[in-house]
Amino acid sequence: MSEKEKYLQIRREAMWTGITLLILIVFWVLAGFGLAGVDIKVFGLPLWAVAGTFGVWIFAMVLVKLLTTFVFKDIDLETDGTPSRKGGQP
Amino acid sequence: MNGDISQLLPLLGYMAFMIGISFYVRHQQQSGLMNNFVKTYFIGNRDLGGFVLAMTTVATYSSVSSFVGGPGVAWNVGFGWVYMAVVQVTAVFLVLGIFGKRVALLASKFNAVTVVDIIRHRYKSDLLAEISAFIIVLFFCATMVAQFVGGAKLFEAVTGYSYVTGLILFGAMVVVYTTIGGFRAVAITDTCCAVMMMIGIMMLVYFVLQAGGGYDSIVAHLETNRPDMLEPLSGGKMPYGLYLTQWILVGICTIALPQSVVRGLAFKNNKSLVRAMLIGTFAVGFMNIGVNLTGILGQGVMTGAPADYGGTDSIIPRIVVTAMPATLASIAIIGPLSASISTISSLLLVGSSAIIKDIYLYRQERKGNKPGDGKLRILSMLATAVIGAIVFFIAMTPPSLIWLINMFAFGGLETAFFWTLLLGLYWPRANKTGAMLSMVGGTVLYCLAQGMGFKIMGLHQITIGITVSLILFLIGSYVGKSEDKETLGDFFPE
Repeated sequence: MSEKEKYLQIRREAMWTGITLLILIVFWVLAGFGLAGVDIKVFGLPLWAVAGTFGVWIFAMVLVKLLTTFVFKDIDLETDGTPSRKGGQP
Repeated sequence: MNGDISQLLPLLGYMAFMIGISFYVRHQQQSGLMNNFVKTYFIGNRDLGGFVLAMTTVATYSSVSSFVGGPGVAWNVGFGWVYMAVVQVTAVFLVLGIFGKRVALLASKFNAVTVVDIIRHRYKSDLLAEISAFIIVLFFCATMVAQFVGGAKLFEAVTGYSYVTGLILFGAMVVVYTTIGGFRAVAITDTCCAVMMMIGIMMLVYFVLQAGGGYDSIVAHLETNRPDMLEPLSGGKMPYGLYLTQWILVGICTIALPQSVVRGLAFKNNKSLVRAMLIGTFAVGFMNIGVNLTGILGQGVMTGAPADYGGTDSIIPRIVVTAMPATLASIAIIGPLSASISTISSLLLVGSSAIIKDIYLYRQERKGNKPGDGKLRILSMLATAVIGAIVFFIAMTPPSLIWLINMFAFGGLETAFFWTLLLGLYWPRANKTGAMLSMVGGTVLYCLAQGMGFKIMGLHQITIGITVSLILFLIGSYVGKSEDKETLGDFFPE
């Protein structure tokens, strides 16, 4: 992979990580606030209290698994390019 | 009040084990420490596997307040609090997914050891780098004091030994093992800490269920007496605005915390990163749900108003004391103390790297001096020990100002670094003017808003800080001139 291809791949991974976050936020709203009025009990608790906590947790792990399986690729983390200049400036 | 000496044994043994680890690591890394002390001491040899990377990130991020203050509130508020705390499952996969590989690759290019190194290279500004280092040291010190105080108070409440005894027992020991072992020791001890936190939580859940007469009876009690605890808004105690700001403060913006980002410099390979994202998400969820659930179940043991027990902060210590046999309580308390020490150890090391690497060493190199490895070895360890000692002594008699700074700390670090890192690493147009305006302007305004208690629509001041720093960043980036071609070529290869 060239330096440019590596950068584009990393940017793609970062973007999909962000999209994962958005999906999780939507799920969190629906599972908690969305189910708050539903009159179903799980383990004696209202459905939202289980879906909005344990549900979100499990869903997050599933999302991360999908993200890392389908978007993340192995790239060489050692660079071959040397920096053009050292350090900063006053 | 005085406790039973046998109650101290588990903690003593645990701390001795930690110090043993630091000596072992020191011995094991001898060749690395000989060749490149600063790098090996501050970030190890890029050899963290998935499990250790996950655990050290989680342990650093989880503080003593997530173990004591938070669950105490959950006891009073109910499932809304757990629903809010669960947003933290995003913290690990976000920081590793967005910054992990990016930072790792850049670090290998620039031979970087700290996050500030990367900021310096990206914006080509020594002033910005030194301001970053200053913000890190200031806010980190305040956070560490708060961790010491929280841990020592808990220790006092549970064992009956004095606050100072606790501070010396676990506080002084953290400083010692961090100073000796450096980053690798911090990573391994953090892993032990994370495991102890999870064990502590499981013990607590078990005993609080027993003491409360079983799960069914506690839930029945909630249904009859505290129906508000089974609603997301908790009868008005959990407004929507609180949920929103928690998403920003302890969820999304945590990706910019330097103590988390620096982990991107330390992992071994792609596989360890991916594994850490998964394991870390599991662990954060387990801890946050588990510990807050313990608080709620505590309703089965204590049914009064918060004031009856001296405020919600006293709830968890009380639960430990009343629900658990004394011998086990002394083991269970290692969990929350672990949360405290694992945060301190990482902050201590990043703080001392800011002083040694980002300020001292850089200035020397600019002057054309190259301090010898022996000198750097002494200075690095000295800086770690001295910061630790200062923080330790402040924690002995914490001044009220420290609480103010600690309150600023989390949001202040996020305000300072969120856009500087995110836009700097993914937006070619981002430049020095924008970063400087954003970091200084945003942080100052955020602190002012906190200090004066100024809020917009009743929301936490992080919303002001993060918005202002974004606006200033954009203005600066469009008004100021772009970074030169070479810099952009390094960061955004063509």
